[in-house]
Amino acid sequence: MAGNDTSRSRTPSPPNKSMLSRTLTLLIVCGIAAFIVLVGRLFWIQIDQHERFETAAIGQQVRATALSSDRGTIYDRNGKILAMSATVDTIYISPAEIVMYEEDPVFIAQNLSAILGVDYAKILDMTRDTKSWYKTVARKVDDSLSEQVREFKNENDLKGVKIETDSKRYYPYSSLASHVVGFVGYDNNGLLGIELSLDKLLTGSSGRIVRAKNAFGTDMLYTKYEDYYDAADGYDAVLTIDATVQYYMEKHLQQAMDDYGVKKAAAIAMDPKTGEVLGMVSLENFDLNNYQAVSEKTRKAMAETTDEVVRKSIFESAQQAQWHNNAVEDMYEPGSTFKPFTVAMALEEGKVTKDSSIYCGGFYQVPGDLPDEGRHCWNLSGHGMQTLQQTLQHSCNVAMMQIAQMVGAEKYYEYVDAFGFNSKTGIELAGEAGSLWWDEELFCNPYNQTQLAAASFGQTFNITRLQLVRAMCAVVNGGYLMQPYLVKEIRDQDGNTVSKAEPTVIRQVISEQTSATMREMLESVVGDMLEGTGKSAYVAGYRIGGKTGTSTDTVVEAQTQVKQYIVSFIGFAPADDPKICILVTLENPDASCGVSVSGGAMGAPTVGNMMRDILPYLGVEANYSEQEKANIDRGVPSVVNQPLDEAIRILSEQGFEYRTYGTSATVTGQLPAAGTVVAANSQIVLYCGSEPSGEQEEVPDLTGLSYDIARQRLGFYALYISTDYNNVSDTQWVTVAKQNIEPGTMVDHGTVIKVKLVSNEAAVNARF
Amino acid sequence: MDYTESRLADYRETDTKAGHGSIDVPFLLLTLLLLTIGVVMVLSASFARAYYSESTNHTATYFFSRQLIFALGGVAAMLFMSRLPIGLYRSLARLIMLAAVVLLLLVLVGGKRVNGSRRWFELAGVTFQPSEIAKIAVILFEAQLVCRFKNKMKTFRYGVLPFAATAGVIIGMLLAEPHLSASIIIILITATMMFLGGTKLRWFALGGGAVGAGFLLIINVLHYSGERVNAWLHPFEDTSNTAYQITQSLYAIGSGGLSGLGLGASRQKYLYLPEEHNDFIFSVVCEELGFIGATLILILFALLIIRGFYLAMHCRDRYSFLVCAGITALLAYQVILNVAVVTNLIPCTGISLPFFSYGGTALLIQLGEMGIVLSISRDIPEKKFSVRKRRSEAVKTAS
Repeated sequence: MAGNDTSRSRTPSPPNKSMLSRTLTLLIVCGIAAFIVLVGRLFWIQIDQHERFETAAIGQQVRATALSSDRGTIYDRNGKILAMSATVDTIYISPAEIVMYEEDPVFIAQNLSAILGVDYAKILDMTRDTKSWYKTVARKVDDSLSEQVREFKNENDLKGVKIETDSKRYYPYSSLASHVVGFVGYDNNGLLGIELSLDKLLTGSSGRIVRAKNAFGTDMLYTKYEDYYDAADGYDAVLTIDATVQYYMEKHLQQAMDDYGVKKAAAIAMDPKTGEVLGMVSLENFDLNNYQAVSEKTRKAMAETTDEVVRKSIFESAQQAQWHNNAVEDMYEPGSTFKPFTVAMALEEGKVTKDSSIYCGGFYQVPGDLPDEGRHCWNLSGHGMQTLQQTLQHSCNVAMMQIAQMVGAEKYYEYVDAFGFNSKTGIELAGEAGSLWWDEELFCNPYNQTQLAAASFGQTFNITRLQLVRAMCAVVNGGYLMQPYLVKEIRDQDGNTVSKAEPTVIRQVISEQTSATMREMLESVVGDMLEGTGKSAYVAGYRIGGKTGTSTDTVVEAQTQVKQYIVSFIGFAPADDPKICILVTLENPDASCGVSVSGGAMGAPTVGNMMRDILPYLGVEANYSEQEKANIDRGVPSVVNQPLDEAIRILSEQGFEYRTYGTSATVTGQLPAAGTVVAANSQIVLYCGSEPSGEQEEVPDLTGLSYDIARQRLGFYALYISTDYNNVSDTQWVTVAKQNIEPGTMVDHGTVIKVKLVSNEAAVNARF
Repeated sequence: MDYTESRLADYRETDTKAGHGSIDVPFLLLTLLLLTIGVVMVLSASFARAYYSESTNHTATYFFSRQLIFALGGVAAMLFMSRLPIGLYRSLARLIMLAAVVLLLLVLVGGKRVNGSRRWFELAGVTFQPSEIAKIAVILFEAQLVCRFKNKMKTFRYGVLPFAATAGVIIGMLLAEPHLSASIIIILITATMMFLGGTKLRWFALGGGAVGAGFLLIINVLHYSGERVNAWLHPFEDTSNTAYQITQSLYAIGSGGLSGLGLGASRQKYLYLPEEHNDFIFSVVCEELGFIGATLILILFALLIIRGFYLAMHCRDRYSFLVCAGITALLAYQVILNVAVVTNLIPCTGISLPFFSYGGTALLIQLGEMGIVLSISRDIPEKKFSVRKRRSEAVKTAS
């Protein structure tokens, strides 16, 4: 019987029908229905919403450590390294692991502080954040220090001390092409120049290690969940910049800044045939390796003020100014450097020919001018009747206005567009400025041609320097407007080409023939020693063409009503087959520097100086005319131990004069020493048995003397002269502006005095 | 003839053949299978917590080894209790009830306070919740009430009042701890016993309304329950601990996907998921074994529950029937509520998963309850191939 109930014996009473059916209900509800709901719910969470929850879960479960990729190198066109990455070490500690492996934070802090020179208390403080896996103690430390840390770590088997390899950017040429190359910030992200515009390509993709961690932030036990994503190194970039060209440009531009008291200067060099930018300068430069540091001048200014706010603002505005790429980020009024375009379009349209004659009465009125208004030529008395070539040589405003009227405003405007003055160049640099031009309708108003008249000689509009260079290249290269570019090639780390830039013709603006005529006429601006406003750009042995420009800084004028000048020169060479086109702009030169504030007197010689260095470097052979050959500075030959008549023969053959001391038939000594570069026709002192006197001479003041006279005067004292000045074709036209040894200084016989020459002809000094 | 009538006929037919038969093997095997999986899951779920805890002395197997000991002890207890006759439990029912009441009173005075609640006794490092005893006590006691009131169950006086009073006393003490989840279980069990006993259905409607109103009141008084409702509705926005728990649970379950991360490979158990080896062990199960594994385990539970009710329906004795169905229902409620909580179907209440959740004495008592079901199953002569097999046996006996 069921039940052992001894107190009460019961007959088993079975559950009744209602009980059984209610149990069946429970069975269905609790045993089947409820479970179907639960499984359905699981299906929703685990299958339907799987990814959502898994992503969220993994998000909290993993810890990613970044692996840095090597940033690519930036080369100049010849493979010189402009920017490179070197690995450096970052020392960090992992307080979580210090706790985990029971390492002594005090011991670690003491030693790291001793090695790295970081404050002990600061390190100790870091170790207290025991949930952290990453506390940086010192960034980008030198190899020797990180080696010491490594030793310390290994000797004591410290897991909480970490060394991470990081990369640091080095710029071997420090300030060279600083605005083009640019720099990177602390995290190796590009902040300026090519470093910024090619940042993604140079950076590559950084990799990471993903590890599973528990809620405390330490590694998960047993589950060694680890994923490794490789870092892809960045690409290398080869620029069109030529470091040597850039160097010469910077050198001479800096010289011009110093000589003329210029505040801001820019220069751009382009290969007219390809549009490659060979050099780009915006002074002042700054050291890319220390891009935060400001110039000494600024530091002095900062030291002078006691006001912290003022000091900070001086510092910050100086930084902004030094990082500003004047060459592409600013607009300006080009002035007379724009005249070649007016002439080129008139030639192209057949409105004028090379032989056209245009009259300048010194003053000209156009429809829209009030009766007593109009425009003067810079030469108030007028240039008279001129050929087309002479209008450029003279930089004649009146002629330009007439030529522009011949072209007509609509056509003129079309050409302005065609020469690219209404579109950005698309150079691979951030912050390129556009241009500011008249509205077409306003410009083309037939009853008011004042805009056209002003535009014809480069006024009342703003363009960028790069636009001007691009257009000038089109004028001289056969008429093709090229796409300017800075990046020649992108390569991977194995040297394979990823992409290569090819010269791109945007459009042909003028014909080959017009272009040839333009080259010829523009060459005469420099080469014609009587008429050319640009003759200071002349370099003996080379055919250089170009155009001067002097304009007011319209931005400054609009803001302060003060007239400041931007003097400029755009030149190209060789004139018959241009390989380079250089624009130099000098802003706000010091009027009291001794040189006339004009494109011809300041811009032209600067470009000339650049050409003098750059053209031989580019492999352009000098072709001296007979006169040039006779006048050029030259090295003194060695004639010691030669028989006297042989020595005399050699010297006269090489364009030197001589005088002798002593009676021996053999030359026993000479002044100056062999190889010294001095002016042609210098009188070489030959000692024939007699000894130099050993006396000293007082240096005379040469300023204002012509090169010829100066040479003769010095020769009297057995002193010599030489110059860097490029125009020695006509030694009577140029005068000494500066000499490198002060007048009155006592010097030995044979000393060479270097002088700076200027051409002081009125035409050169004109502000056009 | 419908199923229940055929069963009744069966009983009449086999009435005389009552006696100590063998225990129900499917029920035993399902129990042991679930227990085995459960203990393994305790190891998997708990080792990270055990390793990182000071209190376990960083012993990864701390929880597992204890659970294993209790599981073995529990199986022994289950087998022992399965040998005791149901009549003994019936006669001890009042005593057990009295003991439960006394223990519930004692725990209010001398219980260990954990998180603001006094629910635990601690003896020699072993913790024990009187509410676990109360659950089985209520089943045993109320089954007796049903048997005594028999046909009077339809009246309010016998079919409702005594049960409400019993539950009321127990719940009163549970809420004083406070222990909301145990109270819910007691209410569900009492309702089940009344339902099976024949109480008129309208009282459930009324009672349901009353209980609902009561809970609303309690939720407003005990603010932590309100917080739980918020966490339930907005687990990802809420910043409370409960919401965090639910969020982590959903992350774990969702991470499992179809086939899971593999046994032992849960990542959420690395201290992200609170209570990972207690109330939220099923989340780890889902993460490691995936939808397939979790569903299989739920099917095992469902089969055990169905088998429990099936056994109840085959009891010849009303008391056995009530106890068997009551224990099965208790098991079902705990499983369903636990899984519903970890999947955020219902607001968070601290209900553990039978055979899985870590907790020695609870496991011991649960296995003991299974032992009672097994004991009852011995009195059911034929359990599997009901009518046909029984007839063939009858034929054999006759010849």
